[in-house]
Amino acid sequence: MSNPVKFLVVDDFSTMRRIVKNLLQELGYNDITEADDGNTALPLLKAGSFDVLITDWNMPGMPGIDLLKAVRADAKLAKLPVLMLTAEAKREQIVEAVQAGASGYVIKPFTAVTLKEKLDKMLASRAAA
Amino acid sequence: MATMPPEPERYRDQVAALQCALDSGDAAGFRLAFDALSAQMDVGLLPELKRITATAQSALARFSAEARLDTLAGHEVPDARKRLTHVVNLTDEAAHRTMDLVDGCGPLVDEAARGSAMLLESWDAYGDRDLAIASLWPERAAMFLERTRADSDVLRSNLSELLLAQGYQDITGQIIRSVIALVDELENVLGKLVQIADGNEVTSLVRSLPAKPDWERGLGPQVAGIESTDAMSGQDDIDALLSQMAAGK
Repeated sequence: MSNPVKFLVVDDFSTMRRIVKNLLQELGYNDITEADDGNTALPLLKAGSFDVLITDWNMPGMPGIDLLKAVRADAKLAKLPVLMLTAEAKREQIVEAVQAGASGYVIKPFTAVTLKEKLDKMLASRAAA
Repeated sequence: MATMPPEPERYRDQVAALQCALDSGDAAGFRLAFDALSAQMDVGLLPELKRITATAQSALARFSAEARLDTLAGHEVPDARKRLTHVVNLTDEAAHRTMDLVDGCGPLVDEAARGSAMLLESWDAYGDRDLAIASLWPERAAMFLERTRADSDVLRSNLSELLLAQGYQDITGQIIRSVIALVDELENVLGKLVQIADGNEVTSLVRSLPAKPDWERGLGPQVAGIESTDAMSGQDDIDALLSQMAAGK
């Protein structure tokens, strides 16, 4: 059942982290680390060997978009698949996220099916790369 | 006031009429001339009186608006902040409680599925004349039934608890309504102050506020009915935009 993909889930709300974690576990992913904003996530990313980053946008401290930019600016992390999982819905924000290098964008509230679909797509293109 | 001659010159006509009536012993004429003089003196006083009254009224209104604002800023806004923090805590607790209960149900359902699979295996073995496995049927059936009965109690109780955990909505709804009422009143008092100040002081205050929320930091969830000119309506909309952008590359 277990799948050796290593996830980092970043959200300031513990309930949302728990929801995402439970959904990932149902999909068979059991290696999940949590962080509550970009400032705590970035050192974890630099230190660990994560395969996928799932991040919220609106967080105190470092917001998700800045985390995404920091990841893309880091040579070691530049290719890391990053899924934005956020309530931010403005067109210009989504454009900004994609231009900053987001691999996927899921809007809250979301369904388990949507999350699975986007993850599968991201992981497939990661495998292909 | 500018057209009016200066004191005491402006009373010359009335004083002359008064003098004339006095000299001629005309009592009725004296009365009339006296009233005319008195009325002329009132005309001089009236604009000044009006100005003083208006100043006093606006000072009073300003005082009451400022006093109210003082209470609002000093007590009710900090209270509202605490109330909203309480709302965040209550919803957080309710969400975790709900997830705890759901997590508690999961293994019970898994166990029911496992027990059913074992029973089915014995049942099929009976049909296939595989007596070694078929003979396990009575034991497995008894275990399954006992377990299901006990687990059903737990499931039923978890479901009731799940229902109860939704009670936060009542409490948070009331708190949020009270904060909405406070925002209404703040708007009202600030509006009054703007009127009294004639816009002068307030416009400079408003100018010093940040022009727009910073969407780089995130704007939070879109709320129906609040201006959002270019908000996506859902995942399908976003997916369409993403593939459009991918095609444009």
